[in-house]
Amino acid sequence: MSKCILIVDDEADVREVTQLGLEMGTNWTVLTASSGVEAIAIATEEHPDAILLDLMMPDMDGRATLKQLKAIEATQDIPVIMVTAKAQQSNLQDFQDLEVAAIMAKPFRPLKLAAEITRILQWS
Amino acid sequence: MMDSASTLYRADILAIDDTPENLQLLSQLLTRRQYKVRSVTKGKTALRAALAAPPDLILLDINMPEMNGYEVCERLKSEDITRNIPVIFVSALGETLDKVRAFDVGGVDFVTKPFQVEEVIARIETHLQLRRLQQQLQAQNVRLQQEIRDRKQAQETFSKAFRSSPSPIAITTLEGGQFIEVNPSFLRISGYARHEVIGFRLDELNLGIDMEEYHRGRAQLVDAGALHNWEFELRTKTGDLRTVLVSVESIELQGYQCALAIANDITERKRLENEFISLVSHELKTPMNSMIGALDLLGTGQLGSLTDKGQKMINMAINNAERLVRLVNDVLDLERMKSGTLTLNPKVCGVPTLFQQAETVMQPMAQDAQVNLVIEPIDVKLKVDYDRIQQLFTNLLSNAIKFSSPGGTIYLSAHVEAGNTSHQTPEIPSPSHPSTLSPSTPPSTLHITLRDQGRGIPSDKLTLIFDRFQQVDASDARTKGGTGLGLSICRQIVQQHQGRIWAESAIGEGSTFHVTLPLMDLDEETTATECQG
Repeated sequence: MSKCILIVDDEADVREVTQLGLEMGTNWTVLTASSGVEAIAIATEEHPDAILLDLMMPDMDGRATLKQLKAIEATQDIPVIMVTAKAQQSNLQDFQDLEVAAIMAKPFRPLKLAAEITRILQWS
Repeated sequence: MMDSASTLYRADILAIDDTPENLQLLSQLLTRRQYKVRSVTKGKTALRAALAAPPDLILLDINMPEMNGYEVCERLKSEDITRNIPVIFVSALGETLDKVRAFDVGGVDFVTKPFQVEEVIARIETHLQLRRLQQQLQAQNVRLQQEIRDRKQAQETFSKAFRSSPSPIAITTLEGGQFIEVNPSFLRISGYARHEVIGFRLDELNLGIDMEEYHRGRAQLVDAGALHNWEFELRTKTGDLRTVLVSVESIELQGYQCALAIANDITERKRLENEFISLVSHELKTPMNSMIGALDLLGTGQLGSLTDKGQKMINMAINNAERLVRLVNDVLDLERMKSGTLTLNPKVCGVPTLFQQAETVMQPMAQDAQVNLVIEPIDVKLKVDYDRIQQLFTNLLSNAIKFSSPGGTIYLSAHVEAGNTSHQTPEIPSPSHPSTLSPSTPPSTLHITLRDQGRGIPSDKLTLIFDRFQQVDASDARTKGGTGLGLSICRQIVQQHQGRIWAESAIGEGSTFHVTLPLMDLDEETTATECQG
């Protein structure tokens, strides 16, 4: 099943590696955005099947971006997986208040990402 | 004057008499006895001579023209430099009234003419001696006064240092912990007024000091005479918590053994430390993400085929990058636990669930190492933070697997012990860890043992291994892929749960890790949430 994923991260390297990792293992379409503002524009326009959203970004961070996505009718139903270097197994509960499908700790393995997203969003 | 006299002559004597014959007689007598004698016939001349070069003693006639002896004496006594020179009156006047007047104007003695030579000499010697003693006494007085001034100054310096010290200082009795003295900085940080502190015992003030820790610290103070860098949360009068680092010296004050404690408020430093850790975690993990990702993609061979050696290098880089991530995660976990920001989320958990989950997670690693896991749970319940206890078990199990030889077996078992057995354990935890569970004595304890058949731990390392970066062998970090923080994290987790952890081992025969955790009173917890296995 072909899916469209939007990767939002201010780090170009992370975007590139994640995109390549997803494309290598799947036939998904991968879009990228380097900021919250860009992410909202692309999400509104392209309506991806899921958004992989980085929490720590300058200016508009993941929380603010998420809030906007949930406020816009065109994007509010898109599942969001929040990705952050601040989280690790031991403190995932600190992020429970976020309206997201899952919290994913950085660093993650791009090759295992597709399987992980499929599992979280129950696409299989 | 006296000093030079002692070398050349016995004393410098000024003799005043209007009768030259008398003077000559006296002068002869005294010169023969090694006195230096200056003779004058007039009062005015005598005063000039005395002021110009003060003699050690003056022999003074009374009846003289122009200025009589009384007047001369009065004038001598009115001048600073001649005031203390002893004056002996030598006169034919022998009436009591004359003598009284002579003493009245400041004379020290009276010799009636005609005189006995020996008597005059004896009196001169006596008064010279008295004068010397008087001078010694004066010098001693000056010295004493200076010493008092010096001491006062020193005392003022120290008391100023005590009062103005930016570090809070408190002096308490060692025995009862009663406050004897505190400085303004102490009052400022604690929020108490002086009268609310002085005379009170540490346990009477609600300063947040754990009394068990306090007694342990006091024992150390008695043993070693000092206690350094004891960190704890000080509760102020308003209930705020300040993190302080305290050093204590044992001192004796007026016969009493006291404790001199100097504190440093490190609350702000701690906050910055936490901020820094959070920053580092992000700044380290973000590049790690790109690095591991890139290596992963390279490793697939889809970006260009790799030789076997190339593949090996990529795997090596991935393994090491993962180890670095584990290290960063462990450091963060440990710091969060120590700073109290990683709090427990206790839920009722069955020991079988806990054991089985640990087995499920660790089985692949055990199989890779060809090590058998034998899990022997008992059916009791604990109120613990499920994730933390899983972290504890996986850390201990992964250690045991790493140090087991292929074919070895690891036994994870448990039994219930009545009462609180924590005091029988040989491992003494380091002070200062605020607990997040209630400290009440549990009715009984779950004793968990994890036994392996590995290489064992040398006895001198048995307590050290729970410290940070203390591996038995320095090469273990590389060959076993550990971070050197696993057991330190285990100890933190166990302590947060009011339990104890320690190890027993015999070289070549394997090691046994013991963990005790308080068992909950289940009657009170019927409504508690069950953990998710």
